[in-house]
Amino acid sequence: MSRRRKPPAIKEDVSCNLIPMVDIMFLLLLFFMLGADMTQREQAELVLATASEIKENDTVKSDEPTTTVNIQHGEATCPVNKAGGFCRGQDHWELVIRGRTVPKETFKDQLKAEADETLEPDVDPLAGVRLSARKVIIRADRAAPYGDINKVIETCSLVGIYKIEVGAAVPAPTN
Amino acid sequence: MAGSSMGDDSGENPVAINVTPLVDVIFCLCVFFMISFKFKQLEGKFDTWLPKGKGSEGMPLSAVIQEVRVALFWDETNNKSIRKVGTRIVPDDGELQQLIEAAHDGFVRLDKPDVPLTIDGDLRVPWEDVISVMNISKRAGMKQIEFAYNVPTAR
Repeated sequence: MSRRRKPPAIKEDVSCNLIPMVDIMFLLLLFFMLGADMTQREQAELVLATASEIKENDTVKSDEPTTTVNIQHGEATCPVNKAGGFCRGQDHWELVIRGRTVPKETFKDQLKAEADETLEPDVDPLAGVRLSARKVIIRADRAAPYGDINKVIETCSLVGIYKIEVGAAVPAPTN
Repeated sequence: MAGSSMGDDSGENPVAINVTPLVDVIFCLCVFFMISFKFKQLEGKFDTWLPKGKGSEGMPLSAVIQEVRVALFWDETNNKSIRKVGTRIVPDDGELQQLIEAAHDGFVRLDKPDVPLTIDGDLRVPWEDVISVMNISKRAGMKQIEFAYNVPTAR
């Protein structure tokens, strides 16, 4: 009686090599970490008006003291704003500095405090006082009422800030 | 999840590292950064300088005003802005640019190239319409843009 012999079991090595995957994942991680903006949110999420003639933001950050004033719609339930219209509610538009809403009544005091932090070294011959070296960037939503921006500019003038920048978005390229 | 180690070759590599926790953590970090990642819209700015001395006091009334003035009114019934240069209503961007260019060229001929464009807007006008006028005036060659506003009573 012939006995059939079992064929020897082939030992297969099916373990996957994880090293390339880890390499790629490290690269992805590096990309997202470098691209993430972990700084304090100076800029609120706004829909800015577009303008083709604007000067693009400098890539190198200057050491100039800067305050960004965001003007955004703060009433979530406003039907006009929800529908994409121009809301003109008196208290619906708010001033936001460094992520905090500043009441319009105390806005001048806060701006004055920030302006006085960094005064120019010399007395200005025209103004007769030391003006502020601080720059104010006004970033307003496209639908914001001009009166609010005008008020911010006027307040800057009153507290001795004369360097103003008006933010706008670069229009999307057309094919 | 990820496999246990770099294969079953403990004979060749006596200190095999278990990469599973490493891969898990990297996955979590990757997901976190991917979710928080956002492509930023390119932004820019218009430089503006407020007058240092006369800003809050306004101009003397006797001064002869030389400027190109664009007035913006708010039409509440139609929910849109109305642009006026002088008494002329200018809804078209191209036409507004031509008018500003013509006015600017006139002042250049009079050797006054620094005459500003003044935007006199209703306080209810949307900001995008003001930006649009600023953009058109820059395109038309105006170097200085001013905003008209009521003179405050005290500094």
